Amino acid sequence: MVAALLGAASTTAGIALTVTSGWLIVRASERPVILTLMVAIVAVRAFGMARPALRYLERLRSHDVALHDLVDRRRDTYLQLVPLTPARLGHRRRSDVLTGVTEDLDDVVQAQVRVTVPVVTALVAAGVTGLLTALLEPAVGFTIAGLLAAAATVFAISARRESSRQAAFSDGRAEVARIVELVGARGNDLRAVGAQEDALRWLDDAHARLARVASAVGRTRAEAVAQLGLLTGAATLVAAWIVAGTSSAAPVKGLLVLAPVAVGEAMVPVVDASRAWVRARGAKKRLEALLTQEPAVVPGGSTPVLVDADPPLLELRGVSASWSARGLGPTTTNVGPVDLVLLPGSRTLITGANGSGKSTLLAVLARQLDPTAGRYEVDGLEAMTMDLDGLRALFAIVDDEPYVLGTTLRENLRLAAPEAPDTHLRASLERAGLGSWFGGLPAGLDTRLGAGGRGMSGGERARLGVARAFVSSRPVILLDEPMAHLDLHTARQVLATVLDGADRGTVVVVSHQPLSTDRFDQVVVLDARTSSDATARSRQSSTP
Amino acid sequence: MKPVDPRLLRELPAVRLPLLQLAIMGAVAGVATVTTAVALAVLVDDVVSGTGLRSGLLALAVLTLVRAAAAYDVEQRAAAVGHLVSSTLRRRLLGRHLADPTGPTGPTGTRDTSGVVQGEGTMTTLGTQGCTSVETYVTRFLPALLQAGTVPAVAIVTLVVVDWRSAAIVLLTVPLLPVFAALIGRSTEEATRRRWTAMHDLSGHFLDVVRGLPTLVSYGRARRQAASIAAVSERHRVETMATLRLAFLSSTALELLATLSVALVAVTVGIRLAAGDLGLRAALIAIVLAPEAYWPIRRVGAEFHAAADGAQALGSILDVLAAPAPIPAMTPTTTPTGPSEVVLEDVTLAYAGEPPVLEHLSLRAGSGLTVVTGPSGCGKTTLLELIADLRRPESGTVTAPPAHLVSQRPVLISGSVRDNLRLGNAATDAELWAALRDVGLDGVVAALPAGMDEPVGDDGFGLSAGQRARLGLARAVLSAARVLLVDEPTAHLDEANVEVVHALLTRIAGERVVIAVTHRPELVLLADRHLAMPVRAGASS
Repeated sequence: MVAALLGAASTTAGIALTVTSGWLIVRASERPVILTLMVAIVAVRAFGMARPALRYLERLRSHDVALHDLVDRRRDTYLQLVPLTPARLGHRRRSDVLTGVTEDLDDVVQAQVRVTVPVVTALVAAGVTGLLTALLEPAVGFTIAGLLAAAATVFAISARRESSRQAAFSDGRAEVARIVELVGARGNDLRAVGAQEDALRWLDDAHARLARVASAVGRTRAEAVAQLGLLTGAATLVAAWIVAGTSSAAPVKGLLVLAPVAVGEAMVPVVDASRAWVRARGAKKRLEALLTQEPAVVPGGSTPVLVDADPPLLELRGVSASWSARGLGPTTTNVGPVDLVLLPGSRTLITGANGSGKSTLLAVLARQLDPTAGRYEVDGLEAMTMDLDGLRALFAIVDDEPYVLGTTLRENLRLAAPEAPDTHLRASLERAGLGSWFGGLPAGLDTRLGAGGRGMSGGERARLGVARAFVSSRPVILLDEPMAHLDLHTARQVLATVLDGADRGTVVVVSHQPLSTDRFDQVVVLDARTSSDATARSRQSSTP
Repeated sequence: MKPVDPRLLRELPAVRLPLLQLAIMGAVAGVATVTTAVALAVLVDDVVSGTGLRSGLLALAVLTLVRAAAAYDVEQRAAAVGHLVSSTLRRRLLGRHLADPTGPTGPTGTRDTSGVVQGEGTMTTLGTQGCTSVETYVTRFLPALLQAGTVPAVAIVTLVVVDWRSAAIVLLTVPLLPVFAALIGRSTEEATRRRWTAMHDLSGHFLDVVRGLPTLVSYGRARRQAASIAAVSERHRVETMATLRLAFLSSTALELLATLSVALVAVTVGIRLAAGDLGLRAALIAIVLAPEAYWPIRRVGAEFHAAADGAQALGSILDVLAAPAPIPAMTPTTTPTGPSEVVLEDVTLAYAGEPPVLEHLSLRAGSGLTVVTGPSGCGKTTLLELIADLRRPESGTVTAPPAHLVSQRPVLISGSVRDNLRLGNAATDAELWAALRDVGLDGVVAALPAGMDEPVGDDGFGLSAGQRARLGLARAVLSAARVLLVDEPTAHLDEANVEVVHALLTRIAGERVVIAVTHRPELVLLADRHLAMPVRAGASS
């Protein structure tokens, strides 16, 4: 608010600069004694210096306030996200959802700088100018008030139009981005089936749709700009006509005619503010929808989880579960009722078509998702009554896209076990089949990975996820779709690495592609929505 | 980085005319702005001196209309041209990428066996954020640049006519703005760059931690990060404010310079007015026009800051488009007549930093079924990709008509079953059903709630691996390509379906060249030719 007032002061100084200059020039033309002009000259200079100085202070202040706010909101939002992770972030493309959160947060915070400051600035500056001119000539004051009201209407209409098109606009953008990403990621595969022309046609269609929305949005902005110009012109004409009929002193007349122009110019920044406002509103809605969800897991009881040398016995009895919470996407993945017994140290393969609920089952096991029905027992005790963090600490999850944090290899591994010594980290890398990769690293465990660091291939990332699981020494390893982003050959190797290296631990592998079943103690086939022949096919083993 | 890249006009002829029109309308709007200012000064003079108001009011009214119309046109045109430029660039990028996915627009990130770094491919980054920032650059920066090119010039020319002394002052001070900006920029360049880098790292931290949340939560490390988020965000704030202080200070300095210059004009005008050397009308015009010579230049500075990303991205995209084209790509739409034959002569191919995958391989496959077998990792898939023109050999030659490759994970898009079947062909529904019958999938599709219109999720969501493989084969049946390459077509199928697929392959082999990679001895028995590939020395993933 201080920033907005500084902005208002700066803009008012700008308006004052224009009108006093007008007064000064007209007064000078009357050839008065030069001393009588001194006050006005000093005023013009003061206004001329004040405008940039105040603007500078306003910009510093408003950005500082916004960034302060960002610090708090980031921490708060992050803490709100923790209990919602992972089950309430949607089942697929979680990292896109999370990227969206950071972008939305920026938009919401930026609204202070881009919306509040220009709107308050324009409002206060125009109001002050209107009042002062009203003191000199009430009719001109009314004209400026009228200009203000009309401009507000223009902005309101423009913001409403823009907000009704915002959704279509971002959909259009997202569709184009989706096609670009598809072609970027699978260019070779599209070429393989001769679908180049198809891909370009999708892009052309998406572009054509986006062009229609974009031109409507562009028209809205153009209309606002043009209408503001027309209103300012009209107000100037009215003011000139009024002033000509009064008996004010000539310099005051000059001042009064110039006032509406100065006010109109002060309102130009508001055109962009309405767009920022629409964006911020959309971002705020999305954030609220995401963050106000119920966590997928009720914290549970306080029964401590006993960790002994043997992995726990895990039993699911008639368990059903669903990803969907209020306000989530259209894909509702359900599973169950399912019976599943995981003996200590056993190897289990869960298979079935995409969408049959394999990952849902895994999430229930790892206590990331509460079952909607049925019973889940750990070593014979009801899981829901057990200490949540303790229970979760039994499971090491390797998902289809292991995330590499932008930090050193050591920190990337130690997030699984903060106290682990370097020897244990090296041994885990070796067990995960990253021995020769590690040998080639220039800075060993101090090598920076992830954003801004060393790039890794998909196979290396998958193995890093496996190494993390080994570092954690957790008794149960859950492997979620190891093949999803790897070619068959690499995926099989990664899987073999886990089965070899897991030692006495329990291993559960989820895959929608049938793997060789010989190394598993049991194979669970889930029925899919669209698949009638899932069972027969999945039982069949393919030779690696 | 250049403010305007001339290659834009050279590379994209389609945007030349719209850009020219935008420039013309920008000039018209500039003239309208200056003329309106003059009309305003004249009107003030009329009001003050009490002469007839009618012509002044009328002139200002007309000019206001013209100016508003011009502003409307420029705004809208700029948005349209922005979209045109960015979509044209994007289409060219995609076209380039599809013609040569391993070329300058790669790496695609899907083929990690090739040692290619995984991650966002160049194409994807340039085609999304890159093109979007180019759009901002065109819609915001270019009009500002046009304005800076026209408005001050028109203002100064008008001033020369009205009051040449004021014009002289403006003419002498206007160049100070860019000079000053450059000086400030130069002296703070080092500090600014250092801070930008620091700021970039710090602002990336939050995104990084948030994206890593699922991993952090699963290892119980999430809550600990909250403190570090607050600490890093606080450092980010401090760094950002330091950067902004510099940036705002320089723009404030420019504004002050402009204000002082206008004041200089106003003071001399005032003194000459008071001395009776200058008429009120000319004086008013001079002080109304003087600021018009400065603000467009300041605006360029302000917009350039925001458009710098766009200028940079435009440069990168144009670099990619200007890179030498690949060996003429084989167009899949032309179907050569006569006997087709795939010929590989003494082909060697290696991925960066690895021993060769294929070494001195020769193969001649005419119509009929050729079966390729060999242990895992011996380069069978690579061989198919070579024939399909998805890879280029290091040495040796590959001669092949356009081929259709059914990979181990045939590409599926989010769309209906029909959309997926019709990738690369324009078959009718009857033909689609026939193709589904050929692979034994007609019953499955007919049983779907929406049949052929049933949506298939992103990347085949909702389909089993076997169904996906057979969908890929059905699409191959529909393809017009004379050469059909199939990679492990039966890996996910049960025995009954394996027979269906093998029968289909032998049938197609009667009309086209079929090359199949398989582990199945049954298929080897059905083959006209058999290539058994040896184990590769030093095979690795």
